[in-house]
Amino acid sequence: MNEMNENEFDDKLMQAAAGLAKEVRPENDLWPGIEASITSSQGEGGWQWRGMFAQAAAVILLVGGSSGLTYLAVHEDRNPAVPVAPVGALEFRPVSGSFGSHYNLGPDFQDARDDLESKLQEELANLSPETRAEVDKNMTAIRNAIIEINKALAEEPDNVLLQDLLLSSYRKELALMTRVDGMASSVMRRNDI
Amino acid sequence: MHGRREDGTDMKRPTMRTLTLTVFCLCAAGALADEEIDRTLDADAKGTVTISNTAGMIDVQGWSRNEVNVIGDIGRGVEELFFERNGDDITIQVKVSRGHHRGVSTDLEVRVPQGSSLKVSGVSADIEVKDVLGTQQLSSVSGDVVSEAAGADVEIETVSGDVELQGDDQEMVAELSSVSGDVEAQNLVGEVTANSVSGDVYLIESTFNRARIHTTSGEIVFHARLLDSGRLSVETINGDVDVVFEDDVSARFDIESFNGRIDNCFGPEPVRTSQYAPGTELKFTEGSGSGRVSIKTLNGDLQMCND
Repeated sequence: MNEMNENEFDDKLMQAAAGLAKEVRPENDLWPGIEASITSSQGEGGWQWRGMFAQAAAVILLVGGSSGLTYLAVHEDRNPAVPVAPVGALEFRPVSGSFGSHYNLGPDFQDARDDLESKLQEELANLSPETRAEVDKNMTAIRNAIIEINKALAEEPDNVLLQDLLLSSYRKELALMTRVDGMASSVMRRNDI
Repeated sequence: MHGRREDGTDMKRPTMRTLTLTVFCLCAAGALADEEIDRTLDADAKGTVTISNTAGMIDVQGWSRNEVNVIGDIGRGVEELFFERNGDDITIQVKVSRGHHRGVSTDLEVRVPQGSSLKVSGVSADIEVKDVLGTQQLSSVSGDVVSEAAGADVEIETVSGDVELQGDDQEMVAELSSVSGDVEAQNLVGEVTANSVSGDVYLIESTFNRARIHTTSGEIVFHARLLDSGRLSVETINGDVDVVFEDDVSARFDIESFNGRIDNCFGPEPVRTSQYAPGTELKFTEGSGSGRVSIKTLNGDLQMCND
């Protein structure tokens, strides 16, 4: 993504996040509001999506959209953007999709992530055992980071540093799945007869 | 013709079916045999050369002729070396028969016009690029990628392979990413984005107006100059961070670590963010504060100095 697109995207994130904080209060699911905002931005023609990467890219962007929460948490002193649900409203499991103990990225995020995961597993089958082991090891490192940050965030739900690092780790997990899929299959497909 | 097999049984006259099979097998055997090739095509001085090779080596070097020359040691299991010009674009593909991806290895030496742009990809192929002035997009899953940049943008991606980029002090944009391989770049000027999961990232002897470095557990070493109004963004979960600003730096600093230690040679002392929870931060302005430095870690330690 070039710099201009990134800036445009940041603007969209801010707009998305502005609507998001209100929408997620009742159900603690961060996904629907972000998804709606992305859908509307697609309608503006600002984004081009292609083939199988559309979903993967959308997932990355959608998760990225949540960073608006952080922005608002920092900049909206009177109305904190990260809504505080009663402790215990969610059963806290520090797994993928969780966002501290109060929020999660919702079932749609989980579905999209599962989709990417299954494509990744198909792709890994074409690679050497050593490469598979490397990818597994690094995926585990990212997921362990997600768990660790989630646990810390459960203790300090308003910690902006932890929110940033968690979102970044989710992005990294999805980016790794997408990248391995894209890199290996493109060469394989070009070379297969 | 009749004869005796090694096991003592009679050999029968070949039927049409066995002949057909024999012809097929000979073709297949031909496709699988080792072969050395040396082919040349006329090329545009600033065209795009696309190269893909599943395994082995891809060595690309710029030269003064408007020709692309491929010298290859074609490995067993390779069906064909596809080498074709289409307008300003030249494509070189080592085509491997389906099911033969594993164990196939081909070494390619490719000479391209110096002004060419490159798109090179491999799975377990090492990639090396020299003396090419156009943009470069290089990717290999488990191979190492080594390149020289010359003022044009470079994008390098690997999974487990290492990445090495040597700049020539001309302004450019570099995007470097790996999963477990190390990323090393020096003598770059301009913008850089460097990402890895467990691989270490080293950016040294360079000058940036924008640098973004993210890792999960990989260490980060940034020994470079940050221009006025420049931006440096560093983020890691468990990696240690070593930042040395070569020359004066003028920026607002915003540094935070949840569990890591912050040691700095200039600016104020870091402070605890909470009396009851872990967390340290360091916020200050150096010089006119025209630039911005943001460093975030979860557990990684930070050392920051200036020359």
